[in-house]
Amino acid sequence: MRRRLTEAVAWLLAAAIACPALAAEGAGAWGVEQLMAELGKVKRSQARFTERKYLKVLKAPLLSSGTLTYTAPDKLEKRTLKPRPEVLLVEGGQVVVEMDAGARRTLRMADHPVLQAFVESIRSTLGGDARTLERYYKVSLEGDRSAWQLYLAPRGRDMARVISQIRIGGGNGRIELIEVQETRGDRSVMKVTEDGP
Amino acid sequence: MRRSAVGLWLAFVVACAAVALRTDYSADLAAFLPRSPTPAQQILVDELREGVVSRIILVGLEGAEPARLAALSRALAARLAQDPRFAYVANGADDGFEADLDFLHRHRYLLSPAVAPGHFDAPNLHAALERQLGLLDSNAGMLVGRWIENDPTGETLRLLEALGREGGPRKRDGVWFSADGRRALLVAQTRAAGFDIDAQEAAQAALRAAFGAAQAGGATLLMTGPGMFAVQSRESIKRDATRFSLLATVLVSLLMLAVYRRPRILGLMLLPVATGALAGVAAVSLGFGAVHGVTLGFGATLIGEAVDYAMYVFTNTPEGGTPRQTLARIWPTLRLGMLTSVCGFAALLFSGFPGLAQLGLFSIAGLVAAAAMTRWVLPQITPGGTTVRSATWLGPMLQKAVAGAGRLRLPLAAVVAASCAGIAWQGGQPWDDELSSLSPAPLADQQLDAQMRRDLGAPDVGPLIVVREATEQAALESAERIGAALDALRREQGLDSYDSPALLLPSAATQRQRQQAIPAPGALRASLAAAARGTPFRVEALQPFLDEAGAARSASPVTRADLEGTALALKVDALLAHRHGEWFAMLPLKGRIDAEALRATLRGIAGERAVLLEIKKETDALYRGYRTRATTFAVAGVAAIALLLAFSLRSPARVWDVLAPLAAAVVVTVALLLVLQAKLNLFHLVGLLLVVGVGSNYALFFERGSEPEDRADASRIYTSVFLCNLSTVIGFGVLALAATPVLRAIGGTVALGALLSLVFAAILVPRRAA
Repeated sequence: MRRRLTEAVAWLLAAAIACPALAAEGAGAWGVEQLMAELGKVKRSQARFTERKYLKVLKAPLLSSGTLTYTAPDKLEKRTLKPRPEVLLVEGGQVVVEMDAGARRTLRMADHPVLQAFVESIRSTLGGDARTLERYYKVSLEGDRSAWQLYLAPRGRDMARVISQIRIGGGNGRIELIEVQETRGDRSVMKVTEDGP
Repeated sequence: MRRSAVGLWLAFVVACAAVALRTDYSADLAAFLPRSPTPAQQILVDELREGVVSRIILVGLEGAEPARLAALSRALAARLAQDPRFAYVANGADDGFEADLDFLHRHRYLLSPAVAPGHFDAPNLHAALERQLGLLDSNAGMLVGRWIENDPTGETLRLLEALGREGGPRKRDGVWFSADGRRALLVAQTRAAGFDIDAQEAAQAALRAAFGAAQAGGATLLMTGPGMFAVQSRESIKRDATRFSLLATVLVSLLMLAVYRRPRILGLMLLPVATGALAGVAAVSLGFGAVHGVTLGFGATLIGEAVDYAMYVFTNTPEGGTPRQTLARIWPTLRLGMLTSVCGFAALLFSGFPGLAQLGLFSIAGLVAAAAMTRWVLPQITPGGTTVRSATWLGPMLQKAVAGAGRLRLPLAAVVAASCAGIAWQGGQPWDDELSSLSPAPLADQQLDAQMRRDLGAPDVGPLIVVREATEQAALESAERIGAALDALRREQGLDSYDSPALLLPSAATQRQRQQAIPAPGALRASLAAAARGTPFRVEALQPFLDEAGAARSASPVTRADLEGTALALKVDALLAHRHGEWFAMLPLKGRIDAEALRATLRGIAGERAVLLEIKKETDALYRGYRTRATTFAVAGVAAIALLLAFSLRSPARVWDVLAPLAAAVVVTVALLLVLQAKLNLFHLVGLLLVVGVGSNYALFFERGSEPEDRADASRIYTSVFLCNLSTVIGFGVLALAATPVLRAIGGTVALGALLSLVFAAILVPRRAA
């Protein structure tokens, strides 16, 4: 149970990549390395998000919204406000989930390879660590500095069973969109708006 | 007469040798655990001997980088999974989880306790859909989403929750590690039972080979578990038995050569020892069917003691005298000494431990045979003109020491008083009440085992309900009835949780009831359509649910075979055992229980067929019971010795002369052991009894020496007592080095006590001579 839950948790954590990053100065060649360098400079950022989940069994998408906070080097918080409060906190090697009833669960990421793959990839993205990101995903980039799309295809078998692709979109050092395509056909799209520097 | 004695002896030796040669030698460690008096405790012992618990080998890998250890752990697990000697290998990697999940998901409608009449009615279905919607919207959405189409009532989740995969060992690089991250951990389960030591040894060898083949680099392999202990103990018993018998023989021989300087005398002295040893083995073989390795190890003590009789005879033979004349003089004392020893060992016969009873019989037969051989055969076969010239300097020196020893009476009184005070200060509870103190495994190994168990998060042994039935189905049905009662207790009292084989393998009857609770396809479709009204669910997308629920109605019931290949099979096997033609279902409990109330409930459900075992309490109570019993027999043994002395010596003063040094020796020995060991166990108690039985010999001879016929006679008596004591201390003392706890405890206690007996006898006995 816990493991599957954490996969879900991890999936949503991917949303944390949405934390906006400050624009990096400088010109030259544009590629994953440059993007990583740009994103890695951010030490702290806060944003609002709205998320839509498109599920095959539902006639209409599920809607949720809240805030996202990133603090370098390893702290992420996703605070859902609607439709019901829920907090997801990643810090160090731990994930803490707080339900609105006050129930609290702490998970060790080392126990859950899929979750770890997620979290490490997010961290390496936010920390600008392209090498670690490459270890977990086949990474490809489209577009230019002002409007780019980063595609992440899972390398791990376990991860690939759950997720077929993660698409992160942004421009000028900011993440604006995260789309997670599930292997079973369901999909979620998260739009991120930065609160300002 | 002369011929017939020697002839009889030879015939006896040949007969004993014939028996000894055909004897089976065992190393069953249960021999040194108490016999179990109740059927409930028998279940416990069976579980320890052949249950899943007995088949577990805990494996640790350490001494390399964590990443290297994790890779080794995977390689080792992969190899062992191919090995038919192992039923199951786990290292924390998630590979096996999918199989478990698949089993639960596939059979969810037959396994889920929620499936009952009304469960699929429109109102209940509607509530279930709303619940799922809430979950889909949360961080758990993906988990729920995986099964939403075919399991909208969330039965798979419910089953997963009930299984409780919380906790568990820490992981690193996806596999189990110790808390400090320095040791990768695996659990392997052998197919062979724990008591099958040969098979356990083979499995351990296979594990070592697999480790070797996995190219360990600098890493080292650690193994622990009941089977491991069994194999190691057998090894160390074997080693101890031969090594220490040999060591005692060599040391005693050297002592005698040093004193008598005549190989012929040495040969003559060893003959009663060999006779005694053969008689001991033959007696145990006839009495018990097989001789335990520990008994052979105890042979070392027999060497030290049996040699005494010949030593008394030869040393007390003056120049120009013959052993026959000497025997005429000292035989009554020798006989009395032998009988007091026999009294001491006789108490072991009734101790309730098969192993200790063997030691008792072995020593009794050995001592009687050695003494008889010394009395009736040795004088016949000693060549005429054999003279003994023992070290002439020894006698006078000892005499002088003994003469002066009387002055130490006051200091001795002080030492005894201090010892008494020390024992009292200890708090009046010198006994180690843990059954583990009797475990044949060395303490360091026990600690490693405990550490690895902690790291693996193995829970402490809690209370356990065991129910016994004629068939598998009856056992599962009883487990279900008991489970229902426990569910009620869980709501009302402090019971946290329980486990039951019926959770994963419900009885066929229960599965049929669940099948009947699933509505017919048409009714279910209508019910779902009504339930989905007012929700965002698309009914047509939930078709897989209708199909699979329909299929479950006519599916054949889940059996043990369906679990094959999952880790869950291990769990069911641990909780459902087929033994002695009966089926045992086990329900471990966690949390607080009211044992009396629960027992009453169980009686109501399954009568005498269900028992509540509070394992730790039960085993410790068992042990305390045996200690009480052993104490009784030790006291009886001492009383028998005192009576024997009273009957033989016919003088309270003389009995006191003999017993006072022994009492002092026992008190001081206990005090010293408490200082050295902190706590005493049953084996120390046995050792103390033997101090009285063996130590009385010296006091008896001292008592004789205090009324010498002449000075030379006294000198010879002191010399013989000194040498006999030394040989006994050697015999028991070498065992103090043994790895087998029973040998070490008894050996150390008796060696210490015997030495003190001699010294204290020297101080206390010869006062009337002064």
